[in-house]
Amino acid sequence: MSKEHGRAFRSQTLSEWLWGWFLIAPTIVGLIVLNIVPIGQTAYLSLFKSGDFGKGNVYVGFDNYRKMAHDPQVWHALGNTLLYALLVVPLSIAFAMLVAVLLNGKTRGKSLYRTVYFIPMVAAPAAVTMVWKWLYNEHFGLLNYGLSRLGMSAVDWTTDPNVAMFSIAVIGIWSVVGYNMVLLLAGLQEIPRDFYEASDIDGAGKLQRFFVITLPLVSPTLFFVVVTSMIQAMQVFDVIYMMIEVTNPAYDHTVSLVYLFYNNAFKYFNKGYGSAIVMLLLVLILIVTAIQMKVQKKWVQYL
Amino acid sequence: MRKKSLSLILTLGLAMAALTACGGSKGAVSTPPADGKTSPTASAAAPASSPAAGGEQVALRFAIWDSNQEKGLRKMADEFEAANPNIKINIEVTGWSDYWTMLEAGATGGSLPDVFWMHSNEIYRYASNGMLLDLTDRIKASQKASLDNFPEGLNQIYNFQGKQFAIPKDFDTIGLWYNKTLFDKAGLKYPDETWTWDDLHNAAKTLTKDGVYGFLAPLHNQEGYYNFVYQNGGTIITPDKKSGYDDPKTVEALKYYVGFVREGLSPEVYGDAERADLIKNGKVAMGLFGSWNLSGFTENEYMAQNFDVAVLPKKEKQASIYNGLGNAIAHNTKHPEEAWKFVEYLSSKEGQERQAQLGVAISAYKGAADLWVSSNQTFHVKAFVDMVGYGVIRPYSNTTAVWEDKAYEALKPAFSGQSSVEDAAKNAAKIMNESLAEEK
Repeated sequence: MSKEHGRAFRSQTLSEWLWGWFLIAPTIVGLIVLNIVPIGQTAYLSLFKSGDFGKGNVYVGFDNYRKMAHDPQVWHALGNTLLYALLVVPLSIAFAMLVAVLLNGKTRGKSLYRTVYFIPMVAAPAAVTMVWKWLYNEHFGLLNYGLSRLGMSAVDWTTDPNVAMFSIAVIGIWSVVGYNMVLLLAGLQEIPRDFYEASDIDGAGKLQRFFVITLPLVSPTLFFVVVTSMIQAMQVFDVIYMMIEVTNPAYDHTVSLVYLFYNNAFKYFNKGYGSAIVMLLLVLILIVTAIQMKVQKKWVQYL
Repeated sequence: MRKKSLSLILTLGLAMAALTACGGSKGAVSTPPADGKTSPTASAAAPASSPAAGGEQVALRFAIWDSNQEKGLRKMADEFEAANPNIKINIEVTGWSDYWTMLEAGATGGSLPDVFWMHSNEIYRYASNGMLLDLTDRIKASQKASLDNFPEGLNQIYNFQGKQFAIPKDFDTIGLWYNKTLFDKAGLKYPDETWTWDDLHNAAKTLTKDGVYGFLAPLHNQEGYYNFVYQNGGTIITPDKKSGYDDPKTVEALKYYVGFVREGLSPEVYGDAERADLIKNGKVAMGLFGSWNLSGFTENEYMAQNFDVAVLPKKEKQASIYNGLGNAIAHNTKHPEEAWKFVEYLSSKEGQERQAQLGVAISAYKGAADLWVSSNQTFHVKAFVDMVGYGVIRPYSNTTAVWEDKAYEALKPAFSGQSSVEDAAKNAAKIMNESLAEEK
């Protein structure tokens, strides 16, 4: 009796186990082939001085990392990447939150607004940047034209080292607000109506309702948005690549780690050094994400 | 319940589809631009087999970086296809900087285009790593293509250890473009071969007014300060592969050039595309632009009406940066015979003259340049050909692309006024020498 029971139990766990693996297989295989293996290869390549066309790589140990420590451009890029993330992530999420809360209520033309806010996400980043580039153009751009009409002097939006990073951050914020908004909207709609009804009866104001009910209850979604935005922001490349050339005086103040990696690996044919730079980025992202995972216990509330 | 299992199946199906999509694009991950471009053209070319051809239908990929030349080259390719019905030419255009990323990915991944343009900046890497088909014997055996028909300086660029890896396609020089209308208004004489640096400077001063800058002095080497450096008897790279940025003559030329920006006679321009925008919109009265801009400038109404081109001014001597592209064949092309046939046509008298007639570029073939001159009635383009006599080959070494960028970075502060030209040039020489020392 007990023996039979055991066998049934075992075959049931086995089948559950198999099903489990079967169901996650697509993701796991994709992750291994497209992410895990390349990470290993990149780490390996970062120990080499790469030859042309992937031939004749010379093992140099940690030379690339040593060179990196003495390369002021790497430190610039590290600072720029963090600055970009710190500009884009809080502002874009705050703005997305505001829009999401407004569009979660009974607004007329709600779906139109939602669509409008989401459009930048659908548009190709390269095309979007071209349009922004014209807006920012020093001589013919709409922004400087507007300033001149107001009697103000022109601003070098993309070549002034003190301004360029902010010009880029504006594009970054503008293009992710819609995506974050959609995620937050989904989170907002999970919040049971009862809470709001109860707070109505208790006579809570709009602001109070937001901070006491909405914010805590949407915090799991918010956490997800913060983590993914942070990772995405630290991988910024396309906007800067399209907007800032090496000849640009603001290059040192805007070059991101990924852009620097691209230039070294593909423009200067030094894939080993490029790999070392992205390994730095990987470590940076790991640290930032680990900190966020730790800190989340303090502010994220799961129902 | 049934609804749930249905959605489960759907999700699974989607996930599988996504996975296979990922698997399919795996090749594209390692060679993004090359793969993205080839698959549509290759599949489009496949069904185009004509029974009349007799031989097997062959599609060749021909990669170039200048979209201005695509139209003319397409016409030549069409004519070549008509004469060789079994060969089909697919022209692939990729912008200058992405072109080299694409080509490198193609070379690493074994999917180089069959025929492609080569440049002095990159020839060493490709030739020394065996990425190009050695054309020496084929040229010797050919009736139509001979290196004797091309300037020796251009042949030499594409010669590595006695083997010829590309045949010159064209040459280019840099000219001084000027706004005739503004010159007339200011009562100035048009620039000509007697012009000196002082004439240029004085004209720039007179023309700088009403929101228009007299001259365009961008942070650009080939269409910028390189010309002045060589006019002053300076150099960018010495014959023994050392930087010339610390040569006093070079520094003097840079000082003169940067002076235009610092004195407000030229806008501060760093972006590559911005330069042409400024001249096309009448924001600058004079500017240095290479002969390859001709079709773009001719199509621009404002420029066609108001602008003309002259030879560059002189200091110690006359000089204009001179360079030429070459047509090369991939070492591992599946169709070496057909690819050679096409390159042979492009290098033949017939092909070179056609290229000149169509105004594609100044053909390198001896005598064909005159045809190019008469192909354009809008500007006095003879100036470009006149400068060949004293043209200076664009400075290059084995890793040109690396030190050119490093030099730009070092010279930037001089243009923006944050450091003196002397310091910037010294710094440029230092990092260029460091970069050259790493060269094999």
